[in-house]
Amino acid sequence: MAAVVNRLRPLGVPILLLLLLAGPGTGLINSYWSRTVMLIAILSLLVSGLNVVLGYAGELAMGQVALYAVGAYVAGYLGVRLGMTDVTLALAAAVLAAVVVGLVTGVPGLRLGGWSLAMVTFFLVILVPNLIDVFEHFTGGTLGLAAAVPTLFGAEITGDRLYILILVVTGLWFAVARNLLLSRHGNMFLVLRQSPILASMLGVSVYRLKLLVYVVGAIPAALAGALFSMLDGFIAPETFTFALALSVLAASVVGGSTSVYGALAGAAVMQLGQQTFTQFQDWQLVIYGAFLLLAGVLFNRGLAGLFHDGVAAACRRGWLPQNRPSAKAAAASEGREPHLGRLDGAVLRTEGLSKSFGGNKALQDVSVEARPGEVTALIGPNGSGKTTLLNLICGFYRPSGGRLLLDEEQVGGRAPYRIARLGVARTFQTPLIPQHMSTLAFVATGRYVTHRVGLLAAVLRLPAFRRGYAADDAEAYALLRLLGIEDVADRPVNSLALGTRRLVEVARSLAAGPRVFLFDEVGSGLDESDLVVLERAIEMIRAAGGTVILVEHNFPLVLKLADRIHVLSQGQLIATGTPAEIQADRRVLAEYTGATDDEATEPATRKGGR
Amino acid sequence: MTTVWAGLATGAIYSLVAIGYNVVLLASGTFNFAHAQLLMVGTFLAYTGAVTLGLPAVPTVLLAAAGTAAIALIEERVAIRPLLGRSDAHGALITTVGAATILDGLAAAIWGRQPLTVPSGLPDRPLTLLGGAVRPVDLALIGLTLLLGVGLHLWTRHTLVGLASLASAEDRQAASARGINVRLLGVGAFVLAGAIAGAFGLLVGARTYAVFDLGHALALFGFVAIAIGGSGSQLGGLIGGFATGLIYAFAVRYIGAAYPQLVVFGVFLLILFLRPRGLFGAALERRV
Repeated sequence: MAAVVNRLRPLGVPILLLLLLAGPGTGLINSYWSRTVMLIAILSLLVSGLNVVLGYAGELAMGQVALYAVGAYVAGYLGVRLGMTDVTLALAAAVLAAVVVGLVTGVPGLRLGGWSLAMVTFFLVILVPNLIDVFEHFTGGTLGLAAAVPTLFGAEITGDRLYILILVVTGLWFAVARNLLLSRHGNMFLVLRQSPILASMLGVSVYRLKLLVYVVGAIPAALAGALFSMLDGFIAPETFTFALALSVLAASVVGGSTSVYGALAGAAVMQLGQQTFTQFQDWQLVIYGAFLLLAGVLFNRGLAGLFHDGVAAACRRGWLPQNRPSAKAAAASEGREPHLGRLDGAVLRTEGLSKSFGGNKALQDVSVEARPGEVTALIGPNGSGKTTLLNLICGFYRPSGGRLLLDEEQVGGRAPYRIARLGVARTFQTPLIPQHMSTLAFVATGRYVTHRVGLLAAVLRLPAFRRGYAADDAEAYALLRLLGIEDVADRPVNSLALGTRRLVEVARSLAAGPRVFLFDEVGSGLDESDLVVLERAIEMIRAAGGTVILVEHNFPLVLKLADRIHVLSQGQLIATGTPAEIQADRRVLAEYTGATDDEATEPATRKGGR
Repeated sequence: MTTVWAGLATGAIYSLVAIGYNVVLLASGTFNFAHAQLLMVGTFLAYTGAVTLGLPAVPTVLLAAAGTAAIALIEERVAIRPLLGRSDAHGALITTVGAATILDGLAAAIWGRQPLTVPSGLPDRPLTLLGGAVRPVDLALIGLTLLLGVGLHLWTRHTLVGLASLASAEDRQAASARGINVRLLGVGAFVLAGAIAGAFGLLVGARTYAVFDLGHALALFGFVAIAIGGSGSQLGGLIGGFATGLIYAFAVRYIGAAYPQLVVFGVFLLILFLRPRGLFGAALERRV
């Protein structure tokens, strides 16, 4: 039974599509319903594009309507003015136009996060009537444009054929969206949505990835526009209103933005609502607004979220078979003793590194060195500059002075993702954990840049994709086993306790096979047994030849693990030495205990005071 | 010069929106997309006061200010407060757009979709000033906006409450630990922004008409003003608004009536591309 359900699961969507396709031809649905289905399909394309941007990359793009207009007018213009009525040509031209508009608005709009893109795209919607007017020669101005009858290889596409065309194009887009979003790329989009900082730490250029997502999201909207012009046969400027933009947004949150098929559900609700309730017109703005407000406040994941919760509950009760994606990965790593391959550690050195914020000197003239196969600890009281130093090494801060060298190459001031690509991995004081992702998938994101599978391979599910995916999963699973937490592989990573999250972060940082590890208070919040695992993992990294920099408050842990300890106080390096030397250093003791015997109050230790 | 006056008068409205964005942004770190809608509601309340109820100017302004402040208070309670403390920063993006849309819809349902003329109570005859014609109501709008912008700028920099607001926009937790009542500050900012929007309802309405979708264009141009001035800078927003108005007016005069929005859009894209932090904003470093 379970095997049958699992076997049929991927076939569900194509079967539904086939039934729908056969609808009008076999008299199953009348023309009213076939038009409704087409309108839902077109709206769902708009919504799906928004979902890619909003639900996965976390950027609000309100310009779907403008791209819809672009698609419609491009297809209309080709047909009417140039006599090119072939649908493949029209759709290709619409996609091309969407990419151009996406780049022109996305390149500036994404420079700053948050509201800039929302406003740029909102502006685009408001400009639509304006642009139609200005380009009256192409668009027919306020009078509109009567579209030519579309053709495919010479055959006219009308009636049932148009119905089939619209459904096939919509089905194809959803296949593309599904393959893209349910892949490492989609996972990386989710990481981006949760934390751009984490994304850049994984070696991803946040700006470029956002631009990619935004441009991909523009494509279905333009396709929808081209299809709509074929359906209605007339392109009227009144179609492309701000109210439509809001209905797309409302459909997105109702269906569930962070989902593939939620777009279909949301579009169906909106379309049927508009057709069924005559009062809808008068109150549509209030209704859309209420949807947005409620969805935003209740944090609900839309209809798709309800569906997933239902399926999860059914699986728990044994009504449906459990889906365990890690099973294959587990099988692949079976029998292998958990061990770490050789790591190609690098020497990380700072020379007189300084950082000031305004007049506040957070770090002054700090020179430290971390060598491969060694654990270098940074200790010091709160506010002594430890995390500032880590942020400088990662590239989150630009140094105010001094040099940062990785194997003698000066890397200070480079963008974080470039430094990450040189093999610097990091964990965070507060673990950065995305939503909607299994632990296994999250650990595998660590390999996104180093073991890259191309976008096209993912969309077409090429053999390269399957191989890469299997290798990623196996490696991620092996790392989880190494840390003794393989039992959480299929759990949503954001459901884990703090201690487990820290271990997951360690696994994630290991996944890329980096050269330098920065562990930021990785031990805090761990219980005894987790600490033992962590100690063992760090020792393994050291033995494998990795360079480890440990920022830690847990003094006993530092003494146990570190080969060399640097002590920071008030932004300055006050001592460097082996654990034994540091333990014997009275100045360090003074910093930590506030003891004030004669030696501890030497002027030298206090000169960093403000 | 008439074009300059027209540009400054339109720009004053954009400055007002930018100032409203900044008041809330500085105190609570939230971008309130619905602020332009508050100004729209202000114009309708001014219409209700001045025309429907036949009140004189001062009670009308007070009514509009109080009414809009109350709506802002409700918005904060419904659309912003439930999101505080969430790790997901995208909530306000959706809820404030939702609040704005509800206000649009309600205004259309209550006052209809036709533009309503709001009488300012000031004489209608244009004055000739510095070689250009300007209506008294426009002059009042420009003058009072300037006063408000500069006043708020000085207030944020030189009073305890202003500095507290800067501190809490920077880091809510740290500010809270210093004994600043962050929540009260946030609510207060919404009320203040609402009251300002309402109080200017009469003058703004007299220049633009009261119409339910007024907020769309104002939100955009107000945001362009912020983009020019740098977010969080009251003085920058003030200047940015006037600059946007001038660009708009000169585009109408010299390029054509269909182009001003396109020109402003072009300037907007250019600024985002070249100076994403605004012409007056300082580069802030990210915090981890």
